[in-house]
Amino acid sequence: MAKNLSGDLTVASANRLADGVVVFLDDKGHWTRHLEQAALARDKRASELLLARARAESFSVVDPFLVAVAEDEQGDLEPISLREKIRVSGLTFEAIAADAVRYA
Amino acid sequence: MPDTHFYHYDKYDRTLLSERVEQFRDQVRRRLAGELTEEQFKPLRLTNGLYLQLHAYMLRIAIPYGTLSSRQLRQLAAIARKYDKGYGHFTTRQNLQLNWIRLEDAPDAVAMLAEVDMHSIQTSGNVVRNTTADHFAGAAADEIEDPRVWCEIVRQWSTLHPEFSFLPRKFKIAITGSPNDRAAVRIHDVGLRLWRNEQGETGFEVIVGGGLGRTPMIGKTVRAFLPKDEMLAYLEAVLRVYNRYGRRDNLFKARIKILVHEIGIEKMREEVEAEYAAIKDSALKLDPQTIEAIAAHFAPPPLPHRPAISGEVERLKLEEPDFALWLKSNTAPHKLAGYRIVTASLKPAGAPPGDASSVQMEGVADIADAYSQSEVRVSHEQNLVLPHVAVEDLPAVYRALAGLGFAEANVGKITDIIACPGLDYCALANARSIPVAQRISNHFANLARQHDIGDLKVKISGCINACGHHHVGHIGILGVDKNGVELYQISLGGDVDFGKTALGDIIGPAVAADRIVEAVDALVRTYLDRREEGERFVDAYRRIGVEPFKESVYAAV
Repeated sequence: MAKNLSGDLTVASANRLADGVVVFLDDKGHWTRHLEQAALARDKRASELLLARARAESFSVVDPFLVAVAEDEQGDLEPISLREKIRVSGLTFEAIAADAVRYA
Repeated sequence: MPDTHFYHYDKYDRTLLSERVEQFRDQVRRRLAGELTEEQFKPLRLTNGLYLQLHAYMLRIAIPYGTLSSRQLRQLAAIARKYDKGYGHFTTRQNLQLNWIRLEDAPDAVAMLAEVDMHSIQTSGNVVRNTTADHFAGAAADEIEDPRVWCEIVRQWSTLHPEFSFLPRKFKIAITGSPNDRAAVRIHDVGLRLWRNEQGETGFEVIVGGGLGRTPMIGKTVRAFLPKDEMLAYLEAVLRVYNRYGRRDNLFKARIKILVHEIGIEKMREEVEAEYAAIKDSALKLDPQTIEAIAAHFAPPPLPHRPAISGEVERLKLEEPDFALWLKSNTAPHKLAGYRIVTASLKPAGAPPGDASSVQMEGVADIADAYSQSEVRVSHEQNLVLPHVAVEDLPAVYRALAGLGFAEANVGKITDIIACPGLDYCALANARSIPVAQRISNHFANLARQHDIGDLKVKISGCINACGHHHVGHIGILGVDKNGVELYQISLGGDVDFGKTALGDIIGPAVAADRIVEAVDALVRTYLDRREEGERFVDAYRRIGVEPFKESVYAAV
């Protein structure tokens, strides 16, 4: 998995143990699929605490790590790296599964 | 049609597999219950081919020497439908990857594999991986001997071999039985090439220390001619030398190619031959009965005499230009005159290379049952192969494949692109591969133009690990990450053809993702302007060198 990143704004992410789905730690210490519900750390110290908390809550996930994010004026978060953008939004092309219908 | 001409597991194999499935089931249960940490569990799941990628777990399924029965292919389709998203990705190692497997379903998926004598064991880790072979094995007109007999012997020897379960790094073996190397034997840790010497005996040229990745190397011949019955003892000697001297202190220097490079092929030969001398008369020497018993599983299927020329084929060649192109590029000579080998292109225009849906897999299995003795092969170029199609049946097979989207007449052409899964799936990747392949494929979709351009192998990797074989592409494309931006480095002149194996030369600075199609187009235009009669892209490159290509690329991007 990706290295821990230290940036100004971070969220904690992991893959869910049972199915590998990408999840984020929220303010209540639950893992959520929704980036907009992720707990946001705004400085280095808060990031360290967030990562420690994520590791403490890692029973149902695999290898928590920090993701550097940007926040727009509306407060919406977006990962900075392409890798993390893809982890959030999924494949950047249409998978062949659609053809299962086309060729049926 | 019964799949009688395939290797079938014996009681020993089946017991081993069923015990392994139950072991894995218990390991998964304990992990989900929190009785195992990820640190404890990771090596266990990897041993069973279960990776964790960006979005999900991925199960890598071994397809021994790329040979599948229609029954096995249907089972793969069923597993993909039941436990994945209804599709899979055929890889450059002739394996199948399912990209959306849930951990809790993985034991049931591997149990379904075991039902058809398949597994995912040793598709990860520092062990001997699935042995690959010529995808035309047992059918090719130019074949000296079917290499799968020897692949199967290697499979039995290397499966859970206790001495080689903790090698310095992974170990890949490829075997070809033809002078035209379709198995890329010089870019494997060990490549075995069957050939006939002046006395008329067949044996192996043993090639060692090839590989791609961060430090690409072309393998060197450690033994020019090895009697076939000595194959296992010699392989054991090679593995022992590697196990003893291979570097374990640096992950990037741990492959056997680095050992061969550092000590030199002469010293490597000396070490291997010394070890070999000590064990060559051991139980590893293959007795004729053992070889015959395994060879019997690969006896040619009963192919009735069929006419070498078909009026219907000749008529369609004139009436349907796409069929005529398909005959040229997607069929190859069979050892029997009334048959052809058909390649089903998994590269329709704009599709993710190597991907097939469950419906498509089942469709290919049906075609194999009707027209190809229930046999299917997976090529390292990420296509499927129907090895035994009667000439008279070619029109029907063409139409059936077209119905699946697999009759694109592009095998060996610019859109028959090898691409790794890249950053869309892979945790190791730096850049995307599949979308780049799709854009190139769409740009060059016109079949007549592709055939005018001729043979041109484009290979794309999303990182330096080179799963997309970019080092040996006529045009190689490597995705790199520079400060968070995807860039693509272009190399030219790579090749895996036997006697011409070469690593590509990087032409200059990487180009932006949104200019890669223009760059490839510039390379093609330069070739078309400068080529001589009958000259392939890679041959023109060798003749005129990099400068004209470089100039046109950087003018275009």
